[in-house]
Amino acid sequence: MNHASGTNLTRFGCRGLAVVAVLWLPAASDAQVWVGGSTPRRGSVEISGGALVTAGQSLPSQAATLTVNPSTGLSSFDLFTSNPSLGPALGAQGTVTVYITRAFAVEGGMQFSRPRLDVELSADAEDAPDITASTTITEYVFSGSLVYHFGTAARTMPFVAAGAGHLRDVHTGNELVETGTEYHGKAGLKMWFADPRRPRRLGLRMEAGLSVRNGGFNFDDDERRMAPTGAVSLLYLF
Amino acid sequence: MKHAVAFVVALACVALASQPASAYLKLGTRVDTRTVTLQWEELPVRYFVTDAAGGGVTAAQLRDTVADAFATWHAISTADTSSEFVGFTNARPNDDDGLTVIGFENRPDQDRTLGATSFFVDTISGEILEAEIFLNSSFSWSVAASGEANRFDLESIALHEIGHLLGLGHSALGETELRDGGRRVLAAETVMFPVAYSTGTIQGRTLKADDIAGLSDIYPNLDHRRQRGSISGRVTKSGRGVLGAHIVAFNMRTGQLIGGFSLDDDGRFVIGGLEAGPHVLRVEPLDDGDIESFFDLTLNIDTNFSAKFHDRIVVVPRGGGTNNVEIRVEPKNQEP
Repeated sequence: MNHASGTNLTRFGCRGLAVVAVLWLPAASDAQVWVGGSTPRRGSVEISGGALVTAGQSLPSQAATLTVNPSTGLSSFDLFTSNPSLGPALGAQGTVTVYITRAFAVEGGMQFSRPRLDVELSADAEDAPDITASTTITEYVFSGSLVYHFGTAARTMPFVAAGAGHLRDVHTGNELVETGTEYHGKAGLKMWFADPRRPRRLGLRMEAGLSVRNGGFNFDDDERRMAPTGAVSLLYLF
Repeated sequence: MKHAVAFVVALACVALASQPASAYLKLGTRVDTRTVTLQWEELPVRYFVTDAAGGGVTAAQLRDTVADAFATWHAISTADTSSEFVGFTNARPNDDDGLTVIGFENRPDQDRTLGATSFFVDTISGEILEAEIFLNSSFSWSVAASGEANRFDLESIALHEIGHLLGLGHSALGETELRDGGRRVLAAETVMFPVAYSTGTIQGRTLKADDIAGLSDIYPNLDHRRQRGSISGRVTKSGRGVLGAHIVAFNMRTGQLIGGFSLDDDGRFVIGGLEAGPHVLRVEPLDDGDIESFFDLTLNIDTNFSAKFHDRIVVVPRGGGTNNVEIRVEPKNQEP
C-alpha cells in the first residue's frame, strides 16, 4: 500500500511538472522574440520609486453648537466655529508593475505622505482669540491598479491607470489608526533613458490623477475626500 | 466596620441664577488628601415617591414622570445603572429615615429653586446610602408631552435631579444672560446645567454627550472602557496650575461637546467618555460668580484668565488616553 501510494505520487508529480513546463514555455518563448526595441512585453516586471505630492483638501466646517432656550428667540447658538483643512503634502511612492500584455499591466503600489491637519477656530462666544490648531497625520495607501499603455514601442509611453486600495491614516504618536478605501484614476508618461535596445533599462515616470478616499480620517463619514495627486518616479524595467 | 456617615450636599436646579458657561463634574467627598467619587455601590437604586400632589401634578403623574427620567439615564449604552420604584410613602424628602424619597414640597421661601438633591454618604468609601429629591410645588409644573406655557417641565427637572442622585454634579456647558436680577439660559448642551430652561419647553428631557460621558465615567461598562478615551493634562498660568478652569473637548466629526474642570492646585484635569478621533480643546474661567454651584467655596478657584483655544489638535485613542496636554492661559490684566 505504501509502495502503491508512492508510485501514484510520482506519477502526479510528473504531471505537475508537465503543467508547469507548459505554463512557462510561452513566457520563455516570448523572451526570445525581438519586438523592435526592448519595450515591455508580457511577463515584464517594472519597478518605480519617487516623490509624490497630494493637494490640500478642505474638510466640512463644524460649529460647536449649544441647544437654545426657546424663550430667548434665538434660532441657534454657536460657542465657536471650526474650519478644518488638510494641507498639501509631499511624500513617496513605490510601484511594482507586471505586464499582462504589451499594453496592459497590473500594478501594486504603496504611498506614504504626512499632511498637516489645520483647524481654524473663530467666532468664540466669549471672545477667545482666533487660532489655528494643528496636528500631523501619516497616510499610507496600499493599492492595486490596472494600467493601459499607449504606443508601447515608443521611447515615450503614455499610460492611464485606475484602481483601488487600502487607506491607513495614523495620527501623530500612533494614538489612533483609521482605515478606509482609496479609489484612483491617473494618467501619465513613461520615458525611457538611453539605448532602447537594451533589455533592462531606466526611465522616468510622471503622472497626475485623482484620489478618492472613503473612510480613514474624515470629519464627515458620509462624505468622500477627493485629492488631486502628482508623482515623479524613476523606473526600472527588468 | 464603622463608617462615617454625613449629610453631604444639596444641589439645586434654579429657575434663574448667576452662572457662566461650559462640563460634567462628578460629585466627590474629601477623604484626607484624596477625593472619593460619590456613587451607588448597590444597584438598583430603590426609591419611594411621596404620596402627595404638587404644582398641578398628581402623585401618580410624579411617579410615572420620575420613572421616565430614570429610564432615560438607564438607557445610556455605555453605563450600567438601574433603579426600582418601591412604592408611595408618606415620608417627605429630606427626612432622615433611611429611605430614598422623591417628592413635592411647598417651599415658597426658595422662590428660585425648582428642585434639589441631597445625600447621606459613607464619607470613607463615597458610597451613596440615601438620597432625597425635593421638587418645589410652589411652582407650576407640567407633564404634558410637549410642555405647557408658563409651567416648568417636570420630566426635565426630574432628569436633572436624578443625574445628581446618581452622582453627577453640575455642568457648566451653557451660556446665560443677566435678566430680572438673575441669569437666564441662552443655550446649554447638558441637562446638568444649574439653571433650567424657561417654562413651556421640554428641551431638558434629552441627555447630551456631556451628560452621557459623565454618567459613563461613574458607572462604566465594557463598551465604554473599550471604545471611549480620555484627554488629561494641566491648565497653567505663569507656570502655575489653575484650579477650577473649565475645559471643553470638541469632537469635530460628531460636533459633541464634553467638558471637565481642572481639579487641583496643579491645574490637572481629565475629560473622559470621548469618542476616538481629533478634538479641539477650549478653556475658560468660571467667571460669572455662583462658583458654589460647582465647587466648595473654601477652594481658591482661579477666574483671572480669559477664554482660550489650545493650539494643538488632540487625538483621542479608543480605550486609552492622551496625556500630558498643557494649556497655558494668560492673566486677564496682562493681556494687550
